Amino acid sequence: MNFSSKLIEEAVDAFSSLPSVGKKTALRLVLHLIKREPEVSTQFAEAIINLRKNIKNCQICHNFSDEEVCVICKDKRRDRSIICVVEGIRDVMAIEDTGHYKGLYHILGGVISPIEGVGPNELNITTLQHRLEDGQIREIIMALSPTIEGDTTIFYISKQLEGLDIKISTIARGVSFGGELEYADELTLGRSIISRIPYRRD
Amino acid sequence: MQLNRLILTNFKNYEFEQLNFHSGLNCIVGMNGMGKTNLLDAIYYACMGKSYFGINDRDIVRHETDFFRLEAHFERLEKAESIVVKVMPRKKKVLERNDLPYAKISEHVGLLPVVIIVPDDTLIATEGSEVRRRFLDNTLSQIDQQYLKTLLKYNHILKQRNAALKQFGEHRKADPALLKIYNDQLLEPGETLHQKRAAFIAEFGPELAKTYLIISGEKEKVSCKYQSALTDQKFGDLLSAAQEKDLILQRTTIGPHRDDLNFQIQGRALKRFASQGQLKSFILSLKLAQYSVLKMKKKMAPILLLDDIFDKLDNERIKHLIQLLIKGDFGQIFITDTHKDRVSEIVTQSGADNQQFFIESGTVQSIQ
Repeated sequence: MNFSSKLIEEAVDAFSSLPSVGKKTALRLVLHLIKREPEVSTQFAEAIINLRKNIKNCQICHNFSDEEVCVICKDKRRDRSIICVVEGIRDVMAIEDTGHYKGLYHILGGVISPIEGVGPNELNITTLQHRLEDGQIREIIMALSPTIEGDTTIFYISKQLEGLDIKISTIARGVSFGGELEYADELTLGRSIISRIPYRRD
Repeated sequence: MQLNRLILTNFKNYEFEQLNFHSGLNCIVGMNGMGKTNLLDAIYYACMGKSYFGINDRDIVRHETDFFRLEAHFERLEKAESIVVKVMPRKKKVLERNDLPYAKISEHVGLLPVVIIVPDDTLIATEGSEVRRRFLDNTLSQIDQQYLKTLLKYNHILKQRNAALKQFGEHRKADPALLKIYNDQLLEPGETLHQKRAAFIAEFGPELAKTYLIISGEKEKVSCKYQSALTDQKFGDLLSAAQEKDLILQRTTIGPHRDDLNFQIQGRALKRFASQGQLKSFILSLKLAQYSVLKMKKKMAPILLLDDIFDKLDNERIKHLIQLLIKGDFGQIFITDTHKDRVSEIVTQSGADNQQFFIESGTVQSIQ
């Protein structure tokens, strides 16, 4: 791409350094900003600077947070006897959106995958153990991806927690809502049959 | 099952080529380096979703172009099946069955059973255990979709375990708890692989011995034994026992990924005691036994691809072999030969219905 302006070129380079933004998209964004009032760009830039300067990790659950402790951990109305263990903040948002969970979270920061250079020490497992020390937690829900790495992580954590009087559960795996049986893959369907649940008449 | 039509675009040395095949015998003749093997590999690719020779998709693309396309029209159990493979730069390869792309290429394996015999297959007998496991896995994957899934799962966990062992070595600190978890995760797929392999060889061994007697016309006995550490001991115990060794060598030293097949002729190791001719007959028998077992299990005749099998055989043996192929219960067969008149003469003499093709530098001519 040939730019008539060095300024535009620099801005395009900056935008296109972001994931899933190509040169053409970057140029469109830049031209859009030029067209709008200067304040729009200032606000945009300030939002980014503010974010980077002030974003913190919650000291308790490791979720991204504006304060030392995040709003979920602070919230007195939430059930403090249950922790949902997830990989990252996007999982927290997805589960929050369901409106079906009122407990606390713990963000691991990934799953165990030595191929990617991630061992148990790279994850927030020790802090999870510390959170269980005062005996207030009764249950841990493992909400990790149903992959081999997810399984490894669940096994590993449950081994670390052996001996504690805490219920460990995993989210159910099986046929999705609105999905038709004949389109479910064999592995999922097979698992769903093996881990079938009693039918409740109420 | 048969392949009716094949359309190649930028596949190896084929720029654009459309071919219509005979439902029985197809003879493909041409000089060395003209593209006979590439044509067979294209058919194999359509059946298995990858090259038999382990060639990278990028290297299959014709010189100085950047994509290839392969379109194959099959008839399977009286239904038309069209398979399309598209490999483009910077995109994931696409494999479509009747216009629907597969989510995973591995799901395609087994739909269109195929057996290929190439001159280098003698390596199955002479090389290390890896080539024999590949033969075993290739056959079982075509028979049993679940086997392939288990194999992929096993290999994935194994890779993670080996990466973990390597990390322990780099950090000079092992995490026995993590290792134990990988051991536990390997157990189920590992034992399943072992059971399925053992059950398969129990059936395959006698079939191989039978086929060898027919091929060689001699009275020698051949056998094929499955060798696995899991036969005598529990996989879990083996993994625990090998833990120290694994930590030192930084890889998993025991398990189904170390299995082997032991080929014998007259009770002696084939590798060391077979003559060139016996070796060739053995490999041919191995592949034809693979054909019989596949045919029985899949309840349809696989496609048979024979690359240059007449090489180094005298005319009498070639005649014997062609008679065997024509009289045998085979479906569609593809044979390549460098000798233009040799095959056509023998085939015409035998009276078998066939179609002949002449290949020159990536262009194909049907011969009437």
